Amino acid sequence: MASRLPLLRRISKLFKAPPPAPLRSSRRSLSLRFLLPQAPTPNVSPWSFASSRSFCSGPLNIPQDSQGPAPIDYRSVLLEDEFHGLANSTIHDLQEKLEEYGDVVELDGFDVDYGNEVLTLKLGALGTYVMNKQTPNRQIWLSSPISGPSRFDWDHNAQAWVYRRTKANLLKLLESELEQLCDQLQRKITSNRFQSISIVAYLEIVHVIVLVTGRRYDI
Amino acid sequence: MLRLVANRLLGTASGEVLKRPLQVLPRFYHENVIDHYNNPRNVGSFDKNDPNVGTGLVGAPACGDVMKLQIKIDEESGKIVDACFKTFGCGSAIASSSVATEWVKGKSMDEVLTIKNTEIAKHLSLPPVKLHCSMLAEDAIKAAVKDAEAKRAKMKPSPIEKAADV
Repeated sequence: MASRLPLLRRISKLFKAPPPAPLRSSRRSLSLRFLLPQAPTPNVSPWSFASSRSFCSGPLNIPQDSQGPAPIDYRSVLLEDEFHGLANSTIHDLQEKLEEYGDVVELDGFDVDYGNEVLTLKLGALGTYVMNKQTPNRQIWLSSPISGPSRFDWDHNAQAWVYRRTKANLLKLLESELEQLCDQLQRKITSNRFQSISIVAYLEIVHVIVLVTGRRYDI
Repeated sequence: MLRLVANRLLGTASGEVLKRPLQVLPRFYHENVIDHYNNPRNVGSFDKNDPNVGTGLVGAPACGDVMKLQIKIDEESGKIVDACFKTFGCGSAIASSSVATEWVKGKSMDEVLTIKNTEIAKHLSLPPVKLHCSMLAEDAIKAAVKDAEAKRAKMKPSPIEKAADV
């Protein structure tokens, strides 16, 4: 278990490395996919009860679906560290990508702010996104001007943050919503340019995947 | 928080104001939220063991918000005749649950399940960071209805017995 944490840190550092400059414009629609961490996580999640209690947004000190308080599960102590690591890396990577995205997109009132572990993305008149960690629930909470509030749990099978009610993936949801919002303003991209960007972006994805898998097998 | 807002309104801004970045405009609670905070409607408790009372308890103290919403069902019609709430949390959470109790009164259980958090948020003009409170209120309504329906299902006499009574 101890060796898994350094691996997580190394991989998140890799994702923090800025990609080559000519591909900047391609990241409009595809960059967010690079954020999926590949690190392994513990086998059992004591917090997986949440899916069975769809009307309860919090644990109420009950890790299992029982009526009374349950004994403390000390596995959750390590899980909190993992949670912080995963959530922080997700939020930091998103912050960087969004800042770069802001440089590319010319949107009035665009602002990305990270303070007190809360990531705020302002899109001027289009609305504001707020993302934060909800540590007691081991969730990432998102507030979106399009889909409203959502609460994402870490799904270690899918290696992604998933909203249990709608099965939405955090990164995909953000990607599609941002595209939707910014497409409303920017219709300048011609189909030819989009095709060439897609090909270049595809190559970049392959390149990164090779790098990631290469580093994993280095251990 | 309200005191801070009131101070700013009166122009006696404290040092806390200066720490805010200059481009952020001051945020005020919408008047509906302040109204629900100052004049809360339907605060209280019903007897949880009453077969006609449905209780929804959502949230967690560690998260900062806990809402208990109770509805009283009329036996014959199945409609909600009364509702009350108790909420531990921010002003927006209190206002959201207060609005929820107002909106469920007089409606049928099926009808209140269509109340959406977006409607509550729009009514209170909740800022993005407080949309989760409206979702919690919607969850509280659903939990209360679910509890009430479960109780009704247990209490319902079988059709044979009912015919015998008549």
